[in-house]
Amino acid sequence: MTRVGLPRALLFHQYGDAWKSFIETLGLEPVVSSTTTGEILTSGTAHTDNESCLPVKVFTGHLLKLKEAADAILVPRVVTQNRGMKSCPKYLGLPDIARAIDHDLPPIFAPVMDLADRRHKWVNDWYEMALRFGASQSAARAAVKAMLASLKSCMAPLAGAATTDAGFNVGVAGHVYNLQDPRVSMGLLDRIRVMGASPLVVEKVPRRLIRRELKTLERKIRWDSESDIVGAVLHWSRSRSVAGVIYLSSFACGPGSMIGALIEDQFGREKSVPLMSITLDEHSGEGGLVTRIEAFLDMLRYASANDPSSAAGGAR
Amino acid sequence: MNITVPKCGSTEYMARDMCSRLGLGFVQAPEYSERTVELGVTLSPEHVCFPCKVLIGSSVEAIELGADTIMMAAGFGPCRFNYFAEIMRRVLEREGYSFRIITFDGPRDAPLDFFRNVRLIVPAANKGLAGMARDMTLSLRKGWAFDEIEKQAMAVRALESEESATDKAIAECLSVLDAARTRLEIDEAREWIADRFARVPVDLERPYIKVGLVGELLMSIEPYFNFDVVRWLARHGATVERSLHMSDVFTPLGRNPVLGYNTPEINKAASPFLCHEVGGHGHISVGATVQFARRGFDAIVHFFPFTCLPEVISKTVFMRISNEFDIPILSISVDEQTGRAGMQTRLEALMDVAWNSKMKHEERPGSSPVVAPRDRVPL
Repeated sequence: MTRVGLPRALLFHQYGDAWKSFIETLGLEPVVSSTTTGEILTSGTAHTDNESCLPVKVFTGHLLKLKEAADAILVPRVVTQNRGMKSCPKYLGLPDIARAIDHDLPPIFAPVMDLADRRHKWVNDWYEMALRFGASQSAARAAVKAMLASLKSCMAPLAGAATTDAGFNVGVAGHVYNLQDPRVSMGLLDRIRVMGASPLVVEKVPRRLIRRELKTLERKIRWDSESDIVGAVLHWSRSRSVAGVIYLSSFACGPGSMIGALIEDQFGREKSVPLMSITLDEHSGEGGLVTRIEAFLDMLRYASANDPSSAAGGAR
Repeated sequence: MNITVPKCGSTEYMARDMCSRLGLGFVQAPEYSERTVELGVTLSPEHVCFPCKVLIGSSVEAIELGADTIMMAAGFGPCRFNYFAEIMRRVLEREGYSFRIITFDGPRDAPLDFFRNVRLIVPAANKGLAGMARDMTLSLRKGWAFDEIEKQAMAVRALESEESATDKAIAECLSVLDAARTRLEIDEAREWIADRFARVPVDLERPYIKVGLVGELLMSIEPYFNFDVVRWLARHGATVERSLHMSDVFTPLGRNPVLGYNTPEINKAASPFLCHEVGGHGHISVGATVQFARRGFDAIVHFFPFTCLPEVISKTVFMRISNEFDIPILSISVDEQTGRAGMQTRLEALMDVAWNSKMKHEERPGSSPVVAPRDRVPL
């Protein structure tokens, strides 16, 4: 049975289930690399160009991990995720980066994913790829259908209440692939919970509210996930549903650096909630991160204790 | 209305020409200097990319000289550039400068916005919309001529048999081009330029190597950031061809009249290595590199700003191209901390490699670089 490798990095955290169901429906065996370890991070850093961003380095580590474990590797080229939006250049060139990094990798398959295209023209790529794996036409069609069905559940907003009862709310904005990866984010969300605050994430903010806040900006943001982040952060700060916001980005992240500057400026103009930016790279140490979160949360507690007028989001 | 534009290659020449046609004031941003970079780095957010910082510094200098309107291009590309103008506006407003920024998106992407922006300039101009459009195309035509002068000069400088014969030709051509106003005059000037460069005395016996210069716009074009690499290479016996010219960038439909390859040709050349557009000029860098390698160039120099998104992708892809075409490629990332000495050492090493491989190829006549067949076909 052909083993098809899927690196557990970047957009796998969002669309991984859809890709897995595609491979499974074809009767192939999906091989997903293990969760990020220090070793993966080190090998990724050693093999990638040194100016690449941290997620691409993590991706490379996972890719190299699959070298022996898989007969083919699937690196979809995600071109857009929403209408009128653009992906980060790194997603667009990811398969080409993967092919350039190592000569001895198994063949890399790079079907296009253009989610903004309502007529789903892009699934042709996937259909052709299924045929190349030796599937029959009907099996290929079934696999594509299974993927589209599973994609719908991937794209749906996460369920669950926006607020919780434990402590006060802190907005944690950042890319899914950083926050979902416990090694990369060093368990940021859990740490915040342990320290007695409840973190809110971008994926739980309704799209309607995100869009409403984005309309107030002078220039439209054209990056997919970054526009969601900015919309969510502005919603949190303007509705005062959080006591503070932590913005997590990775070093050399292009869109992240631009919206980081935008959020800082906008918060400064509106004089809204406190903001802390954390920039991650492969050298980030746990100690430094913990100290900074502790200090930030202490500051939020202190501020709201001295300000009885603070709204529902404030600390008790 | 005193207009200023980002200083990069022929942009300024075209903008000055257009403003003089329309009767608008034009303020030339001063040459890039240490002060520009320092101003930009001090004012701008830490993680935005180097060109953005430089443009912020340069805008401050232009505003100090009396500019009140900054014209910026933006576009809908995936690279950081599409948000430059907004960050610039926010930073300069925060610093308390009074100015207006007009951000032009591509007329094909957002025709209405483009039209609205042009209308902002109309009241100050002495012409209507139609006249303005005509003037724009004329200025663009002049930009082509300006870039052709640069292109010819790069090609011929290493071979000139008299000291500064090329510089003299450039000066003469520019004075002829400055005087040209109508379409006919500009076309005549272009012919005259080609003629004039054919008359530059060259030493055909002198051995030379061919070097391709690729990379991000500002870093590969502006001599301040690449430490005038074109002249440096010429002194080391290299004729240079550059992948990017400002007037090509502004020419619609991807025709690239100065470079000579249109966009489909470039995409096709890049396609085994980079099969999708990645924003900025990453695709052109890769495509032009492949074209240069196929044409038998001896080395490629690649300039890009630190952590530039598209060019870091090209840099990664260059590892593969360098192997398959057996051509040395030197990638140099530039930011405010780049020093002349470090760059010179690396360039000297590249020259050594290029000259050595050139000698080796000449010993075995008829031998061409081996291209390894690839089993991986991109989907």
